[in-house]
Amino acid sequence: MIVCPNCGNKEMPGALFCKECGTQLVNISRDPTLAIPSSLSDQLHEQLVEDKSQDVPPTPMDASLSLFLTDIGEVIPLEGLSEYTIGRSSEDQPILPDIDLAPYHAYDYGISRLHASIKINTPYAFLIDFGSANGTQLNGQKITPHKPYPITHGDIIMLGEMKIQLLVNR
Amino acid sequence: MGKPSLYESLGLPRDASKEEIRHAYRQLVLRLHPDKNVSAGETELFIDIQQAYELLSDPMRKADYDSHLPDELSRVSPLNIQIYYSQPSLVRLSEPQLIYSLLELSLQTDTNQLVSSTPMNISLVVDCSTSMQGIRLDTVKLTAIELVRQLQPNDIFSLIKFNDRAELLIPAGTLSDIKSTEMKIQLLQAGGGTEIFKGLEMGFSQVSQFRSNNRVNHVILITDGRTYGDEVSCDRLADQSSALGISISSLGIGTQWNDKFLDHLTSKTGGICKYVSDIQDIRSSILGEISRLGSNLTEQITYNYQALQEVELHSAFRLHPASSPLVLGPPLILGFIPKHGTLNILLEFLIKDIPSSITSFTLAKGLINYEIPRHKIKTNYVQRLIFERKITNDPIHEAPPTIILNAMTSFTLYFMQERARDEMAKGDFNSATRHMENLATNLLRKGENDLAQTILDEVAYIHTNRSYSENGEKRLKYATRSLFLPARTEGNNL
Repeated sequence: MIVCPNCGNKEMPGALFCKECGTQLVNISRDPTLAIPSSLSDQLHEQLVEDKSQDVPPTPMDASLSLFLTDIGEVIPLEGLSEYTIGRSSEDQPILPDIDLAPYHAYDYGISRLHASIKINTPYAFLIDFGSANGTQLNGQKITPHKPYPITHGDIIMLGEMKIQLLVNR
Repeated sequence: MGKPSLYESLGLPRDASKEEIRHAYRQLVLRLHPDKNVSAGETELFIDIQQAYELLSDPMRKADYDSHLPDELSRVSPLNIQIYYSQPSLVRLSEPQLIYSLLELSLQTDTNQLVSSTPMNISLVVDCSTSMQGIRLDTVKLTAIELVRQLQPNDIFSLIKFNDRAELLIPAGTLSDIKSTEMKIQLLQAGGGTEIFKGLEMGFSQVSQFRSNNRVNHVILITDGRTYGDEVSCDRLADQSSALGISISSLGIGTQWNDKFLDHLTSKTGGICKYVSDIQDIRSSILGEISRLGSNLTEQITYNYQALQEVELHSAFRLHPASSPLVLGPPLILGFIPKHGTLNILLEFLIKDIPSSITSFTLAKGLINYEIPRHKIKTNYVQRLIFERKITNDPIHEAPPTIILNAMTSFTLYFMQERARDEMAKGDFNSATRHMENLATNLLRKGENDLAQTILDEVAYIHTNRSYSENGEKRLKYATRSLFLPARTEGNNL
């Protein structure tokens, strides 16, 4: 048996791709996303917390958003787009994320090439995980992939193991 | 060209072994046995095959026949066969394993040996049920008239209209009076239900009257509806059609027609099934199909493989041209080689067990049969094709060829889409949407943003409505299938 590193689905020896999530199982020339073992609290969260969205106040129309990489101490402003994809660039990737975390050792933090996005739909902003290998947490809770979660000033977003705080500047 | 030899009528090479003769005969019997209510012409064909087998299976009579047989026109097969495997060897394991193979066929013919174009023998089978009324039927009519005007003097054409019953509007033959033919088409009217078998059967019988190796023998079905209760008869007809080298293509208009059924039916005969969502595309689809038929170098290529015990051909998919899942045989109808380019088939073998005594494993063996209708001297060809791998105790770490990886990327995505579809049909919305979301993620990674967005929109629709949107189901299927289109795969040709 081969176990898919992305979703844990079992495939027969000789399989080239995971039939469940489409991940290539052989000869991955580009580096796969580093798998971070899930902690006990992650598993607990998955069992206990079922899509409990937080109650978020609307963001003022004229506010500007930025991302604060807490471990690194950098601030990345979000300007000009209505949706920002976040991930890390790698050599043979056809599309690049709008916010490329590769310079900040994204690989070591377990960030997928296309990990998540922040969508701004005034007056709200939303966080969406793209079914990333190591998942995304919002204020310590793992979020369901492909589902938008409203976010607000001060929220802590964990992409893999990278901690990012959302800042709303008036 | 003369009368075909007994070997040719069984689709065998002259040096066929006893086992090959028996296998070929059995396959043909399965398809053409008179007990399976076959039309009159085929009973004759069946008797010919019966006689050929009786003679060839008797060593004495066979030797006598062989000694009187005139020399073969040409022993050289112009078919280039290239096989790629996902692994250099099979590893001895205590559990079942998979191996993928990509078959690439191309033709190496001296163009001097070809006549410039193949005469056509085609039948247009037009659905005239109530739902076709209006712009759909009008567009089909205009296209049919355009087609009639394009025909060459020696082309054979027939047109059948059908609803609950079939009516022979233009009997098969060369067209002498174009004006009156156009008039007949112009007067087509819609009304009634959709019984595909009746139309298809008549189209088939019209084409079979003039069937010949140096013509393109083809039925084109144009429908917008779903047939009820006659699927089995249609399926049976497709088998007969394929045995006679008559291919069937279909054009499905709108959303109501049964794409799974028509995919299956056409694929059995080496034809293709197209989805037309926009009325504007009806004309280009019909005329495109005709020009494709005229330019193909080969008629349908068949791989008549023998079923083996330890291995199963798990799935087969034609990547190019006209990507489509293939109906598993034997025989496997592979399709045709286009004027420019190659015919590429992806095969998935499931190996159940590797006997300890052997060092080389046969995945499939059998005969490839094909026709080159435009060839001046010899039109029928047969050659052996075997898939095999050596066996090792330890895996050999070698990257699969790029051509296989590329093909498998698209195939996996198509497969995920089909799986989501099956889950939708069963009412398992959660699994279906999860697979669709995974599919979308993979498409984003590939840079197929538009298709990914379409899928995510569809997922959102399913979440609220618990069903596909009106066009959604077919659109997703044919869009993921279009990932195989030449523009995307041809650049990667090795």
